[in-house]
Amino acid sequence: MLLELNNIFKWVQQGGQRVFLLKDINLKVAEGEFISVMGPSGSGKSTLLNVIGMLDGFNEGEYHFMDESVHTLREKHRAELYKQYIGFVFQAYHLIDELTVYENLEMPLLYKKIKGSERKAMVADMLDRFNIVGKKDLFPTQLSGGQQQLVGVARALISKPKLILADEPTGNLNSKQGQDIMELFKQLNNEGVTIIQVTHSEKNAEYGSRIIQLLDGRKV
Amino acid sequence: MLKNYLKIAWRNLWKDKTYSSINILGLSVAFAVAILLSMAAFFELSYDNFHEHKDRVFQVYNVQQTPDGPEAGTSQPTPFAESLKTEVPGVDHITRVLHDNALAIYIEKEINLDIAWVDPDFFTMFTFPIIEGDQSTPLNELGSVVISNEAAKTLFGDTDIVGKSLRLLINGEERPFTVAAVMKDTPRNSTFDFDMALRFENNPEYASTKDSWQAQYHEVFAMLANSVSAERFESNSHAFIDLHYNEAIENAKRDGAQPDADEKYRQVELLPLRDVRFTSFRKGFAEVSRSNPYLILSVALLILFIAGVNYINMSMARSAKRLKEIGMRKTLGARGKQLFFQFWGESLLLFLVAMALGILLSALLVDPFKSMFRTGATYDQLSSPQFIVIGGLLVLIISLIVGGYPAFLLSRFGTVQSLKGTLQANGANWVRNTLMVVQFGIAMLLITSTLVLLGQIDYMRNKDLGYEKEQVISFPLNGKRGSYAVLELLKQELKGNPDILGVTGADNNLGRGRDGNQYSSAIGFEYKGRTVGTNFLVVDHDYVETLGLDMAMGRSFKSPADSTGILINEAMVKELREQDPMSAYLQINGDLKSPVLGVVKDYHFQDLDRAIAPLTFFMSRDLELAYAYVKVAPVNMADSYEHVKEVWGKIEPNADFLGSFLDENVDRTFRREQATAKLIASGSVLAILLSCIGLFAMSMLIVSQRVKEIGIRKVIGASVSSITFMLTKDFLRLLLLSLGIAAPISWWFLQEWLENYAYRIELHPGFFLAAGIMVVVIAIFTVSTKTIKAALQNPVKSLRTE
Repeated sequence: MLLELNNIFKWVQQGGQRVFLLKDINLKVAEGEFISVMGPSGSGKSTLLNVIGMLDGFNEGEYHFMDESVHTLREKHRAELYKQYIGFVFQAYHLIDELTVYENLEMPLLYKKIKGSERKAMVADMLDRFNIVGKKDLFPTQLSGGQQQLVGVARALISKPKLILADEPTGNLNSKQGQDIMELFKQLNNEGVTIIQVTHSEKNAEYGSRIIQLLDGRKV
Repeated sequence: MLKNYLKIAWRNLWKDKTYSSINILGLSVAFAVAILLSMAAFFELSYDNFHEHKDRVFQVYNVQQTPDGPEAGTSQPTPFAESLKTEVPGVDHITRVLHDNALAIYIEKEINLDIAWVDPDFFTMFTFPIIEGDQSTPLNELGSVVISNEAAKTLFGDTDIVGKSLRLLINGEERPFTVAAVMKDTPRNSTFDFDMALRFENNPEYASTKDSWQAQYHEVFAMLANSVSAERFESNSHAFIDLHYNEAIENAKRDGAQPDADEKYRQVELLPLRDVRFTSFRKGFAEVSRSNPYLILSVALLILFIAGVNYINMSMARSAKRLKEIGMRKTLGARGKQLFFQFWGESLLLFLVAMALGILLSALLVDPFKSMFRTGATYDQLSSPQFIVIGGLLVLIISLIVGGYPAFLLSRFGTVQSLKGTLQANGANWVRNTLMVVQFGIAMLLITSTLVLLGQIDYMRNKDLGYEKEQVISFPLNGKRGSYAVLELLKQELKGNPDILGVTGADNNLGRGRDGNQYSSAIGFEYKGRTVGTNFLVVDHDYVETLGLDMAMGRSFKSPADSTGILINEAMVKELREQDPMSAYLQINGDLKSPVLGVVKDYHFQDLDRAIAPLTFFMSRDLELAYAYVKVAPVNMADSYEHVKEVWGKIEPNADFLGSFLDENVDRTFRREQATAKLIASGSVLAILLSCIGLFAMSMLIVSQRVKEIGIRKVIGASVSSITFMLTKDFLRLLLLSLGIAAPISWWFLQEWLENYAYRIELHPGFFLAAGIMVVVIAIFTVSTKTIKAALQNPVKSLRTE
């Protein structure tokens, strides 16, 4: 089992009332799964993803990730954990505009304190694999949306994560570009990477092996 | 990693060029100004610091009790130094010092030199290095002189002159002297400033005052033995005072003076050499005040503070743009600490660039700065290792606070929140508002100070001093001839010119002439069983008329025949406590009783920081005059000046003509105020400029934060002006708050400062109002550029982002 959520609750106080973002979520994800999370706006999809990614906390419940109890971990250890095992892909790509493609790919490795020569090899490998060697010295703004997302995925993959969390990865792309990214995900999944994606599109959800429906913070 | 940070920092700076250049410009100007100002301040503070024995050398001054309270002074009588050294234990070396100037003659060459009459110990006590000749006791012989390097070059043409002789014109008589040594020029941060040192015994007063304890006219400096403290020495000297000043003490008792805390009527006290420059005796005690250099230093710090605040506020304003990067870095595993160092590093980079530019800028500006503010400051003041360490630490601390605070805030943002790009900065708002209030408070303080200072200078300049200052030229009689002879020649030569209305002379100048000298001479004598004191002035007849003084009673000197009589001013009438001054006879000098011929209305013969003191006029051919006064017609004044100069050149071809109009002389007496005013004025201009840069950045931030709100309001139907007002209102509130806080502080501060002047303007709310309006108008103007633009924008644009 890669991760397991037991009775997760998350709420915010609004005008003296609790507004639930996540309500009693139970989820088990095995290694090698490809899960699509679906639901209308405000149903808690992104919140769930953030909780799984440990970017956001929760108020109640238990979260086990690879035999570690995330809910008991300190902030620092949690950061260590997701740094090592989780890669993120965002709808708005979130590449750093001031850095080139090469430097954007390199950045996670810098935070993991990987040696220069090894870093170079890993970045070169990734550029090769995604066929963007020719673009390595360009800045994100010089790329099309699809290409930017390609870099985003490459950056998420570079530190060899076990789990990829993708928050509407195709939301800003046209259908052709979206399809390419989904094909890429499918292929990565076949290579053994676990993927959880949030999506609005039925078609994209079909790429997954399992679909989770959320409504008002509850699994349906 | 470091490379990555540097790259990001550089590209960020490069990307937003306006922001970076405003920031760097503001910081480097602030650094440059801070460097220059602290240079001036440290120069001022370094006065007399170069003397090797500075900790053991003291100026000997005395405090005496009079019926009007204590009086302090540095003038001592001729036998004082010698007796003090022999009778009071603890003195290693002692010297008398009298500053003077004299005409030096070598073959054909004549120059006017600043000279110092001193005792042989002088060169042991003070560090004025000898570069040629006798190193240890250059003034052993009565006829020896020590000449400065520069004076030697001007007079002799070179410095290999030990043993050569020259002549000096002393009291109208040429006397030969031998050069015993050549010394380095006196440094600019020395209170002693002279071209030549001579034995004290040669001074013209010496012979007549050798045994007199009454004539006090020179200063005395003593170097104490290692084991003796100043306090010990002072208490040791009680017997000495009681012995030599017995009569004066008895007189003081008789006149009703109160003894001091030690039950003494007169005491000898010691003033550390390092304090001499900063001491005023005006209030009856030695008041040591280094407030001027510290004032300059605080202006420097205030400017740094304002620039720092700007930087903080601007970084905060910009942080919104970098939220995405922060969030992204966090999801990629960056820790708070790493982010902190990244952002702080960026600040440090910017600071270093600004610092380098600031140093460069200060180097470019140092010469105009020096001449504008009349300081002798050099980079030497700043190149001492201790200053460099302190300065370096200061920059590091500033960058840590100024760069670290925003870095700290940025690194603490939550990951999800920053990825969404929403900035919640409630805590920062509080800090920001406080900083802005302080910043504008400072600007306000500086502007009000400038206005008041200029007001006071203007007041002093335009005040009716009681004499004609626009039409009278004065100049020193610095030539070879006797003063009365010169004056006679002047009168003859100038008689033909219809624009010359009168010529007279006196032994003192009014204001500070181009020779840079100001003297005062005072005397005490017995009158109807009391001791009274007066300033005295030797004049030629027609002095009163030429200077346009008014008579309150009686008549002025009319002809040389009036030389037995005297004139007094109204303050002197009060000092004498005389109902009918015209019937008084004053016995001032010896047995001669002089009748009062008339009473002159009070006029300001001294600087305006003093009240008008008692003054007695003499007209005696036995006493030399030192300055000539020429009254000219109000037309063709420049031509008249040239004519006087020409005539002087004919009469004394070897002496410089140092004439200037009296109003210029008066201006020169408050040079210090003018320098301070200029300094604070430029400081306040800079302060308001920098504050406005900050304000501009703030308005940028606030507008960018409220873009959506503005859009919604416009869609609902708000007008451009109401939105502009809404955005400006918050700033206005902060501004008014800072004005409210700054006004009372400035009031108190300026009131304290004005207390230094016997004649001063009254503080009134107008000054504060004017400064406030100025600040508010400039600030609103600055803010409006951004707010109006925001209000004019098409709401569709700002609302589309959702």
